Amino acid sequence: MEVDFKSIEGKSLQYYLLLFVLVVLVCAGAFSTYLMITQGIYLSGMTNRVPWGLQIVMAVFYIGLSAGSLVVSGLYGIFGKMEYKPFARMAAFMAMLFLIAGLLSIVTDQGRIDRVFVEPFSHFNVISMFSINPALYMGHVMICIIYLWALFKEKGLLTKVASVTVVLWALCVHTGTGAIFAFVPRELYNTALLPPSFVAAALSSGAALMIIVIVSLFKITKRHLDIGLVIWLGRLLAVFIVVAMYVILIENAHRYYQIESREATFYYLFGSYHGLLFWGGLIIVGSIIPASLLFKRKTGTSVPWIVFSSVLVVIGVMCERYLIVIPGQEHPPDLFPGMEVTSTVLAEGIVTYSMSFLELLQALSVFSLIGIMFILGLKYLPLLPTEARIYERSQMLKDLVPVSEKP
Amino acid sequence: MDRRDFIRTGGILLVGASSAYGLRMLAVSSSRAPSPGSLPTTRKWGMVIDLNKCSSDCNVCMDACRKENNVAIHGDERWDIHWIRKVKIKSKNLNNSGEKSVPLLCNHCEHPPCAQVCPVQATYKRHDGIVIVDHHRCIGCRYCIIACPYNARYFNYKENDDWPNKDFPKRSHGVAEACTFCAHLLDEGKQPACVEACQRINAGAIMVGDLNDPESDVSQIIANNPIKRIREDLGTEPKVYYVGL
Repeated sequence: MEVDFKSIEGKSLQYYLLLFVLVVLVCAGAFSTYLMITQGIYLSGMTNRVPWGLQIVMAVFYIGLSAGSLVVSGLYGIFGKMEYKPFARMAAFMAMLFLIAGLLSIVTDQGRIDRVFVEPFSHFNVISMFSINPALYMGHVMICIIYLWALFKEKGLLTKVASVTVVLWALCVHTGTGAIFAFVPRELYNTALLPPSFVAAALSSGAALMIIVIVSLFKITKRHLDIGLVIWLGRLLAVFIVVAMYVILIENAHRYYQIESREATFYYLFGSYHGLLFWGGLIIVGSIIPASLLFKRKTGTSVPWIVFSSVLVVIGVMCERYLIVIPGQEHPPDLFPGMEVTSTVLAEGIVTYSMSFLELLQALSVFSLIGIMFILGLKYLPLLPTEARIYERSQMLKDLVPVSEKP
Repeated sequence: MDRRDFIRTGGILLVGASSAYGLRMLAVSSSRAPSPGSLPTTRKWGMVIDLNKCSSDCNVCMDACRKENNVAIHGDERWDIHWIRKVKIKSKNLNNSGEKSVPLLCNHCEHPPCAQVCPVQATYKRHDGIVIVDHHRCIGCRYCIIACPYNARYFNYKENDDWPNKDFPKRSHGVAEACTFCAHLLDEGKQPACVEACQRINAGAIMVGDLNDPESDVSQIIANNPIKRIREDLGTEPKVYYVGL
């Protein structure tokens, strides 16, 4: 099957305007990072009780989003769905960018950025999840580059091998990211279900983002996109949402059932603003509504509704990433089970994390930087196919969309 | 100078500079005398805190520690550092149980989660059991603070302007730190600052000694008293033992 790729022109006013805004945001973030390097990261909202803030939330969110490549190359490389080949370049490129964003978020979050490029290499700790994961991320970036190169050069065998490797490697990447939290002895972190739930949420957010990007890019550049492809991805997304929701609910039911983590889980599920994020953001907005829309025949076959559901999923998973990182720190470790602390010099009880403006700028700048790389990539690399269509329609698709569209 | 010459000269300069730097690093590492605790030893430091002797309104251990180790206090609860801190606890269920004042510090766990997670091996356990941070290697990722189940580790969010003890280094902003059992004093055969301060006021609530020596004071107390360690269920094997907890 031949697919033609053509980069965008990128000479419009809107293109340059977008580029300008992104560059300004990157500069603002770079300045706030400079302030933190010189004065200390007290300028962020982090404290001794909540030492990981927005940057780590964003890092795990980005890394989860990179799973979009896993979905597409899995469909194409493992399940042999050739009609998804047109999106493979885009998926590999975006995965690479999101991993770079994840790594950048982690790097700019360190107290001593000057040592980040030396010590982790000279004193690698094989049992630290924080050593293993950056190695996995960098490996993933490399594999994505090879995959992308093989796709650009139309190397048949290498593409096949790389697409399978990307899937297996990405599975390690997402499991490892979940393990950063799961392998730590804290009430709300320490659960073996965290890595699988991370993988599940990564798949749903990755697929959702793929849908949003593909549909909007094809629409903006006025290229033909077969509605069947979007419907199929939407169906897949619906399954991912249900699986993610299932694992997350089991994870919390188990935590709540255990007496030692009951109080912490109650706080997580119903206390402070977390309850709203969990039930409102993740479960209702991020899971139940999009899954129902996607499974319903009328909305599940309409592109605007599928895109709308995808946006909800991305918002829901963002809430989930916040919920992984922050409440586990805000809730104190129980040093004296059965006792209460009545007086102290350190904030021993429940604390709240509130991000600072400079921290927000830092996070925005990382996003803007990959935004710049993305729009430059669209202009200078043959990433976008001229069209994407299905040649042989399956019975399921024929049932869903009786009248097949002609390009 | 043509391009080839430029590249050649540049290359020679680069190789020269880097090898000079490398040789300097070697010289530094070989001239640094190893501290006693980093050498193989049969000793294992442990601490006993007798809560019956610890008065709830006394803070001499905290003050002495702060002064000896240049522990930063910024006047803001979010960033203040406490290598040793005191908390008051009481039972949630028994109304008539009294309040206890408990000094909390790094437990120097036999299986320290902080050292396990450190991506650059900056936190490590010495041969004598003391868990310590190499502040010249720490990248400031704060994973150790996340992993410590005792809230015993802190981060230097701000530069510490106060430097009372010029014989001991202060830490730059951007690195993690925790109690060292005053390893620098133990290595010289002296007592940690908190122990010394507690003995000075004749309370003697805190004691440090060799856990591997059955005749040591700490081993004797552990053998002859009902003792508790904090969150023993986690399996970290803390080396701070409490009497009367």
